[in-house]
Amino acid sequence: MASGTTEPAPAGPGADAPGGSGSPGAGSPSAGAPGGRGSGSGEGARGRGLTFRGDDGLLSRVLALREGSIIVVTVVVAIYFALNTSSFFTSANFKTLLPYFAPFAILGAGEVFVMILGEIDLSIGGTYLLAPYLFYKLSATVGLPLVPAVIVALIACMAVGLINGFFTAIVGISSFVVTLGMLFALEGLTLVISHGEPVETPGAQVHATTREVTHVVNGVQIHLPEQVNHISTFAKIFGAGIYSELIWALVIVIVLQVVLTFTRWGLHTVAVGSNKLGAGEAGVHVKLVMIRNFVLCATAGGLVGILEAVRSSSVQPDTAGANEILFYGISAAVIGGTLLAGGSGTVVGALIGALFLGILKDGLILQGVNANYLLLYLGLSIIIAMTVNVYVQRVRRGSHSA
Amino acid sequence: MPDAVSTEPGVVQPTSASDDVLRVEHLSKRFGPVTALRDISLHLRKGEVLGLLGDNGAGKSTLIKILSGFQKQDSGQMFLHGQPYEPKGVDDARSKGIDTVYQDLALIDELSVYHNLFLRRELVHRPLPFLANREMKLRARAALDEIGINIPRIDVAVARLSGGQRQAIAVARTVNGDADIILLDEPLAAMGAKEGSMILDLVARLKEEGKVSIIMILHNYVHVLQACDRVSMIQEGVIALDKPTAETSVEELTDIVVNEYRRAREETHAETRAETGVQG
Repeated sequence: MASGTTEPAPAGPGADAPGGSGSPGAGSPSAGAPGGRGSGSGEGARGRGLTFRGDDGLLSRVLALREGSIIVVTVVVAIYFALNTSSFFTSANFKTLLPYFAPFAILGAGEVFVMILGEIDLSIGGTYLLAPYLFYKLSATVGLPLVPAVIVALIACMAVGLINGFFTAIVGISSFVVTLGMLFALEGLTLVISHGEPVETPGAQVHATTREVTHVVNGVQIHLPEQVNHISTFAKIFGAGIYSELIWALVIVIVLQVVLTFTRWGLHTVAVGSNKLGAGEAGVHVKLVMIRNFVLCATAGGLVGILEAVRSSSVQPDTAGANEILFYGISAAVIGGTLLAGGSGTVVGALIGALFLGILKDGLILQGVNANYLLLYLGLSIIIAMTVNVYVQRVRRGSHSA
Repeated sequence: MPDAVSTEPGVVQPTSASDDVLRVEHLSKRFGPVTALRDISLHLRKGEVLGLLGDNGAGKSTLIKILSGFQKQDSGQMFLHGQPYEPKGVDDARSKGIDTVYQDLALIDELSVYHNLFLRRELVHRPLPFLANREMKLRARAALDEIGINIPRIDVAVARLSGGQRQAIAVARTVNGDADIILLDEPLAAMGAKEGSMILDLVARLKEEGKVSIIMILHNYVHVLQACDRVSMIQEGVIALDKPTAETSVEELTDIVVNEYRRAREETHAETRAETGVQG
């Protein structure tokens, strides 16, 4: 349609700016790509900007982003909980919120790379469960130092991704089937090597010491013993520090978004997901791209498993928990605007999707929702929020979806 | 009969010219029970535009895919600038200067015009290998201008372009990639007259420049006579005709095809009769 090419020209300069600089807060890397792969998306964004021509408000700028609608939905949900619970906007609650979303953001970020290909990786539940046990075995049984043990465990996860990629890209089995099988196999393997027993996470033990602390009470100095918990630097970095998982999540999301938007790896990922045959004919190494992304995704699953094990200082052979984590990770990616059909998605979206899930769960708990109702509400909320999301997207794309 | 394939009447034997850039001799290719190519011989001279005609399923696309390194022939040889040419893959063929514009265009809808133009040949910064988008945009614009393709904006996703513009970009991609032999697989498929003439103009301009040689699959005889220097017709996996377009006409080309239809129909009837005979 010729209209598609001539039409955007007038809107170009005006709408360019919000794509580049006006992207508020979290949306920045993907949106701030006036020339990156973003031009695929960023261009879309500019085109979409048309819909809101003449209306240069913050809302329309946010909506012009691919993950714009979920940002709006997340903010609305946050405001709702802030108004309805007294403790939502407190730093204490912020800290409780972190473990609800940081792990999902990392899982979602990895999953985005696979889902843009039009594939899915269910095996992250398996690497999530297996990696901390490998870490434990390598450290406690084999005697590797902590960091090398983590690295070797993650290399094992990469091997899992390699196998997923091999069966999907080269043998040609559907990734859903391959990774479903891998999920069960890895969970089974974990049960076998752990004998179903939880163990203490190496390097994550908390040492408590007491010290005398001087208080002044009614003008009288009194000395009281107080317990101080010490955790190792290793543990602080790998999950046990309050902001550790958040920092991991932010760094991973930013790095992967940059990879997706500004490198050939990202460009080829979108190319394969958008037109696999065409990308192959153009000379893109389709199989290599696929395998690489499966490796990335499986590794993200393993890393989250280790971070969570260090944070909770125990390794649990909890297959049901792993499956739940897996679905939260995929949900984060999907909620963040990555299409299950492939061809499009953003890592930042997965972060926001994870934040949405975290806020929803945390908010419902704060509101005192009966624990039995929690999942029910969570599920319905996801459907409602996604419906709103789709509706907002339709309005946004209205001008050129025909 | 199969033994005598190469001496069968109606099969054009290998010919060559002193300025051949590409020569193909006795190419054959089977897919399981289906014989796509039986015995294909053709040549392409420097700066020439060769039109490839043939029915659906005659083997044109298979031939193009073998030439472009996407598939490998079962037997037969190919020569590029007189040297044996055995592409190991699309990349290899491209590095040797043979590039293809496929029927499905191999364009990525989600990506911008200039990313499509540079797909697999992206320019990156150093030392951090980020995409050099500014540079790619400039060069893409220059490349499109050079071959006279008018795309108002090169940072729009190609999904939003017309069929003719997409085809033009696909052609530009091959020229941009420094190909000296370009294979066009039905460049006018599903295209209106205006868009089609835009592509034929583009081919004419490329021919004028004389830097590239082109093999083009077409269906419309008028287009062939208008745009090509020479025409080869494939029928049932062999080259049935090979003539300069100046020496042939729409009538002759049509006759060949009509005769082919008649022969095929009689064959089908004969088979049907034979089958019913066996049953009876």
